[in-house]
Amino acid sequence: MNDPTIRRVLIVFGLAAVAVLLIATVTVRNLNREAASSDWVNHTHAVLSELQSVSANLRAGEASLRTFVFGGGRTDRLATRDAFDRLEEHVGVLQALMRNEAQSAQADNIATLVGRRLEFANSILKENPAPGDADTVAKLARDNGLAAIAEIERAIAKLRDEQMTLLAERDRLSVIHAQSTRWTVWTGVAVNFLLLAGAVWLIRDDIAARKRVAAVLAEANDQLEVKVRERTQELATANEHLAAENLERRWANEALEHQIHYNQVIVNSINDAVFVLTKSLNISRINPAVVHLTGYDAPQLVNRPLNSIVHLASDSATPHEQLFDPILQALKEGRDLRDLPAETEDRLKRRNRVTLTVFPLQDGAKVVGGIAIVRPLHPLTSAS
Amino acid sequence: MNSHILIVDDEAPIREMLRLALTRRGYRVTDVASAFEVESAVRHDPPDLIVSDLQLEDSDGLAMIAQLKKSHPNVPVLLLTGVFLDPEVVHGTLGNQITAYLHKTTSLSKIMEEIDRLVREKQA
Repeated sequence: MNDPTIRRVLIVFGLAAVAVLLIATVTVRNLNREAASSDWVNHTHAVLSELQSVSANLRAGEASLRTFVFGGGRTDRLATRDAFDRLEEHVGVLQALMRNEAQSAQADNIATLVGRRLEFANSILKENPAPGDADTVAKLARDNGLAAIAEIERAIAKLRDEQMTLLAERDRLSVIHAQSTRWTVWTGVAVNFLLLAGAVWLIRDDIAARKRVAAVLAEANDQLEVKVRERTQELATANEHLAAENLERRWANEALEHQIHYNQVIVNSINDAVFVLTKSLNISRINPAVVHLTGYDAPQLVNRPLNSIVHLASDSATPHEQLFDPILQALKEGRDLRDLPAETEDRLKRRNRVTLTVFPLQDGAKVVGGIAIVRPLHPLTSAS
Repeated sequence: MNSHILIVDDEAPIREMLRLALTRRGYRVTDVASAFEVESAVRHDPPDLIVSDLQLEDSDGLAMIAQLKKSHPNVPVLLLTGVFLDPEVVHGTLGNQITAYLHKTTSLSKIMEEIDRLVREKQA
């Protein structure tokens, strides 16, 4: 409800609802009045019809009575009786239709006047005179019938004129009510239209602003989606690269392990004793043939000097000089020493005559160590 | 239809990594461990390239290749092995049996490039 646009729309719709309610109230009231007026009009027409019938039956009855007196027969007598009966009946209906005292007084006056004429006619009909009876004719001549009929007609005309005046007045009111209804409905429609137009005018800026905001949001969403797609693509690409790098690393490790194993197999398969030496001629690695030859396990040999196991066979120098000088010199110069006579001393202190071959271990141009291969001159008994 | 590569190697990790790398590049891959399986694999779905090790579970790779060449002389063979071979020996002695030789210490990307090249040559 803090939204001003919604508040404005609700106010306008509230006013429109009030206008519709007013229109409905006025219209229903006018329709009710119209219905009442129609009822009055029907009543007035009924009164006029009864007045017409009273007048007609009065004249018919008077005429039939005179015909009967001056030469009529039974038929005329019956016609007279019938006309006056209908007259009496219509006068009764007329009295019943009256809705106020003034009208009732007039109807009663007509009934009184008509009653006198009925009484006169009944007195003649009761005597049932012969056609042209002189007494009856004289009685009829004495009767001031025309004046009485004229008085009744005047009373009827007065009442009829009043009814016609009422009818005209009700017609005028009916026209006014219909016009009022039309005006009310059209005015209500116009007011509602104006209210709706006003509401549109009030919220047009807000709608335009909302459209702009929606457009900005949609654009921001589009940009966000593009960024998300780009980022997702980047992540997918990075993931692929990582997976490829990981696979490459696994491949390299596998190849390296395979190669190390393969090299180990090759070295271990050599029947001669192979010593891998550091630049200081310490033992860094051996093959199984060395264990067989010396009786020492690998942990007992690694990092020991080679001359503690192998001695060059020469009496002209100390064992240290005999072994290290030429070998160290050859390694420094990158030279091979092949098939030098030498001796080994095993774990049981037994000496065996062997040949010693030494190769420099080179990494490019740099000597990083050496390989010593010891080959027994005679078959040996295992020292292990 | 994607090109079909047949991998022959007795080491399962090697086969698995080659299969993964080749599948990522869009190849169809069949891998077997023995010379015995090669014959049925080739008969069932002839490959566009065979990548073979030298050591197989039941045979020597070169013997298997020589046998295969009798029935499929046009199938290129890449020898991918951990055994160091002299390139001159490979080209001179084995040139009529294998199309190319790579050592297993070669990077995987290089191996893939070589496989791409061999497949392109076969299709050309």
